[in-house]
Amino acid sequence: MKKTVLGGLCAILLSAVSTLAQAETIRIANHGQAGIDAMKSTVERIEKKYGVTVEVIEYPAPDKDYLTKLLTELGAGNAPDLFSIPTTAAVADMVEAGYLTPVTKALKAWDGYANLYDVAKELAVSPDGETYVMPFMLGIQEIYFRKDVLEKAGISTEQPKTWQELLDRAAEIKQKTGAYGLLFPAGVSWGSGAFDEGFQHLLVGSKTPQLVDADGKLDLNGEGIKDVFNVYKELIDKDLMPTQPLLGPEPWVVPKYQMFPAGKLAATTCGSWCYIFDWGRESKNPIPEVTKVVGTWTVPGESSGQYVLANLAAPWAVNSKSANTELAIKALMEIGSIETQVSYAARIGNIPASKDAAKNADFQKLTELVRIHAAAGNGVFLKQASGFGTVSEGVARATEALLRKETDAAGAQKILVDYVKETLGDDMVK
Amino acid sequence: MARNSHERRAERQWLLILLPSLVLLLAFVIYPAIYSIYLSFTNEALTGAAALRPRFVGLRNYTRLFNDAKFWNSLFVTFVFVIGSAVVGQFALGLISAIALRRPIRFRRVFSSIILLPNAAPEVVAGFMWISMLAGGDNATLSRIVSTFGITPADWLQVFPLSMIIVVNTWRGIATAMILLTAGLSTIPAEIYEAARMDGATPSQMFRRITLPLMMPTILLYMLISAVSTIAVFGLVYALTRGGPGGATEVVSIYIYNQSFTSFQLGYGAAVAVVALVISLVLGIAYVRAMKVEV
Repeated sequence: MKKTVLGGLCAILLSAVSTLAQAETIRIANHGQAGIDAMKSTVERIEKKYGVTVEVIEYPAPDKDYLTKLLTELGAGNAPDLFSIPTTAAVADMVEAGYLTPVTKALKAWDGYANLYDVAKELAVSPDGETYVMPFMLGIQEIYFRKDVLEKAGISTEQPKTWQELLDRAAEIKQKTGAYGLLFPAGVSWGSGAFDEGFQHLLVGSKTPQLVDADGKLDLNGEGIKDVFNVYKELIDKDLMPTQPLLGPEPWVVPKYQMFPAGKLAATTCGSWCYIFDWGRESKNPIPEVTKVVGTWTVPGESSGQYVLANLAAPWAVNSKSANTELAIKALMEIGSIETQVSYAARIGNIPASKDAAKNADFQKLTELVRIHAAAGNGVFLKQASGFGTVSEGVARATEALLRKETDAAGAQKILVDYVKETLGDDMVK
Repeated sequence: MARNSHERRAERQWLLILLPSLVLLLAFVIYPAIYSIYLSFTNEALTGAAALRPRFVGLRNYTRLFNDAKFWNSLFVTFVFVIGSAVVGQFALGLISAIALRRPIRFRRVFSSIILLPNAAPEVVAGFMWISMLAGGDNATLSRIVSTFGITPADWLQVFPLSMIIVVNTWRGIATAMILLTAGLSTIPAEIYEAARMDGATPSQMFRRITLPLMMPTILLYMLISAVSTIAVFGLVYALTRGGPGGATEVVSIYIYNQSFTSFQLGYGAAVAVVALVISLVLGIAYVRAMKVEV
């Protein structure tokens, strides 16, 4: 009997010791070798500063698969303590699901907060007024075009001022060079990119530039949305945009990594990372002297205005079910350091959200990004709302129907509205 | 008649032996199936408000499903995929292989091994291997082969997506078909063929009048296993096309995955899964009934 009691006590003691040991370990989800490398020095710093063990768990690289695994684990309650979120559109829904820990207080008390661009701070605030993510990197997107191809064909490289001018330029490119004139990511296979890297660019310059009304309802019947789909329709109907590759499983490969470097696609939306990874020094198919031969246009508004799109690039957040929330929040603040921002910029090509990053010697070496960083404060964005993840999927479905020439702009808008209503319920849509 | 204690003890022993299997069946088959049915009546999701507070939505998922063109498309694609790869491709080639390898030919074991090879590669590895063969561009294997015959190379998975996944799944399933059908063929006594030959029957007549009728139970069993397992094929199609281009290869398993883990609508995904389960059950019952028919 004594032996049994003693054995039981030992088991309880062992379990308690193991729980205590686990509390001193934080688990971090990371995906893609570049992301893991970018975090290496930060992980070492966190371990040294707080005397903890950081366990880095490698997740699947494609954003879509990464998000699926992360959400499944969050739903099951066994996700890591800290993780990045691959698309800003997913944040509000994750907040609604109760997966994220609010960090407003800690973030505002953090010494790097004041130095963040306002656009980063605003993008980080969720519809409930709280902040749940560390907005340390920005994705700054514009239209990138082959200056050399256009100049050789005698086509103007001036900034187009309206959508019509942009479409006319794309038509002129097709007519004079035979190359596709313009690409907006579209279709289901592109995942959240159809929304983040395509649809949003045009919507911010449309007659109805936001998707959320004052009551927080999704306003998807606006005229602007139909006009945006009309731009897609014209590009597709006039064969100004490659469509067949966009229907395949990895739709970005052919247009971005093959056609654009070969000059068979003359303009596409892209982010600062394109100068480094898609066509620059880290590319498998680089364009020689990329910053000279590839120029940028801001995205023109429907009838006026010029827009540079800003997103939070893979913001990090703390699991609401973290075993050690306090420690995870401290680690989150370390991720926000300028050192980590520059490390990410060098390896991923996104833009540091801290203004002071410009003074960092390592960042100054990233000449492709310095100019973009200086102008990052001017970025525009869509006000976030819960249900954006569903809207993003609805846009992907609507643009896919356009790619397959199954519908017109009004039909595409109906696909979007119907999908969101069916998924979220009628009361979520205005 | 009252059962004696020996019989009761034997029955208890049988139950004891069956218990582990029953527990596993309950835990991993029955319970998930019942839970899926429950989920299909909710708006359970992996993200958004429904992830935190799922609610009962009655038949809403089923009403949506029956009005969803993408769902019907996935059923149609699955139907063509099952007929093309399981019923026609695997069965025909499996039967030919089984009959051919029954004859006393040289290197029989080598041929048998070659036919069994597709099953040695994991599904996803096999998928990626076929991607390199069917990819676009002049360097892809199939494009290089056809260009030697003067045919213009193409991106085969884009131009003929459904046909290509049927070919790949046929390639992968021949071995199973061959093994099952070889077993069926071996049950037919050689004397029957000998007698038929003495009566002047041609090989074609022997095949139609002897082989096929006597093989019918095996064929039906194969059809049942093959059809149900082909409905559930996921990894191969996901690796090859992910259901694209434009839903052209979105079989029902891919559609369920996309709804549940790409759109994160677990409730709706579960409703599709329940319908797929019902279809498989109906198919299974039909085959089982057919198997009882005397040949």
